[in-house]
Amino acid sequence: MVQFNLPQNSKIEVGKYFKDKTNSKNLRKVNIYRWDPSTGKNPRVDTFEVDMDNCGPKVLDILFKIKNEIDPSLTFRRSCAHGVCGSCAMNIDGVNGLACIKSHTDIKGDLNIYPLPHLKVVKDLIGDLTTLYKQYESIQPWLKVDQTGQEKTELKQSQKEREKLDGYYECILCACCSTSCPSYWWNGDKYLGPAVLLQAYRWINDSRDGDKKERLKKVADELKLYRCHTIMNCTNSCPKGLNPAKAIGSIKKMLATS
Amino acid sequence: MENKNPLSPHLQIYKWQISSLLSITHRIVGVVNFFSIILICIWTVFIIFGQNNYQIIYNIFNSTFGKFLIISLCWTFSFHILNELRHLIWDAGYGFDLKVAKITGIVALAGSFVLTILFYLLGRSFF
Repeated sequence: MVQFNLPQNSKIEVGKYFKDKTNSKNLRKVNIYRWDPSTGKNPRVDTFEVDMDNCGPKVLDILFKIKNEIDPSLTFRRSCAHGVCGSCAMNIDGVNGLACIKSHTDIKGDLNIYPLPHLKVVKDLIGDLTTLYKQYESIQPWLKVDQTGQEKTELKQSQKEREKLDGYYECILCACCSTSCPSYWWNGDKYLGPAVLLQAYRWINDSRDGDKKERLKKVADELKLYRCHTIMNCTNSCPKGLNPAKAIGSIKKMLATS
Repeated sequence: MENKNPLSPHLQIYKWQISSLLSITHRIVGVVNFFSIILICIWTVFIIFGQNNYQIIYNIFNSTFGKFLIISLCWTFSFHILNELRHLIWDAGYGFDLKVAKITGIVALAGSFVLTILFYLLGRSFF
């Protein structure tokens, strides 16, 4: 059953207020979701006053500034800081995105930062993506060929065939799309979600792959695939500008016409 | 072992997009249409049984609430028809581009009001 409200232990409380100590005139309020597993308390939203005169341009810069100068216990994932690894995916100002490539100057008013929606929180801004990775594994994201290994020959791909993967191979699996999808919120255990389906399409579409029919058969499922209702939150949130909705539409079309 | 960690907020914080707003409207309007068709069936059957019955229905529909109801239903049907066209185009594999989807969405929404007015004008001048 769809549950619109947050469970009792997830209700967000008002948190601490960190007042500015630098006497800066260019202050910005940043509200950040906090949850510490060691306290046993409900999650809260802390507010930080950040001196914007001495802060980098991206949301990740703000997070680092807070961690370094105000509250070192703030926890978030990050790695490359260049929009390539997908670690710092979070909900910024109501839309999922990567903190490292999102400019805070694009956002008006107070800055609200939450973890990716509808995930079990590990700590602060870190959500548990175990289910998504399991689903990713279930589509077998590797090249499957009929070769036995003895006759190993090069699998050639024409430029045209390679172009078919454009817009799909760029996916970094940051999970922004899947966790923006209401269908995935309500049926995340069964519905594969945009990220995994985009990946599925990437392998279905690969001219070198020898398992296209089996792959299609595997995703052709009322729950796995057809929970997509073209809400398009996925495409709206993709930080790499990809189009998972189109990938899912293409799979549906392939199934309808094959 | 059950994971007792809190669930991160979803509906509570996620910003509405044009696409998601139209999608949920499509759904709600679909449910409304489902019930309104039942209503229309009962209404037409009711009329078969005579003039007095017609008078009762006329009185209901001629009230402010009745007028509001009918015009609302004209809109729900209009919107559902136009937005369903979008879905048909998507099913054919086109119109997924973010800009295109936004434009078709706005066109469907604006068109639904135009169609409602057309329904009204047609209904007025036909009989």
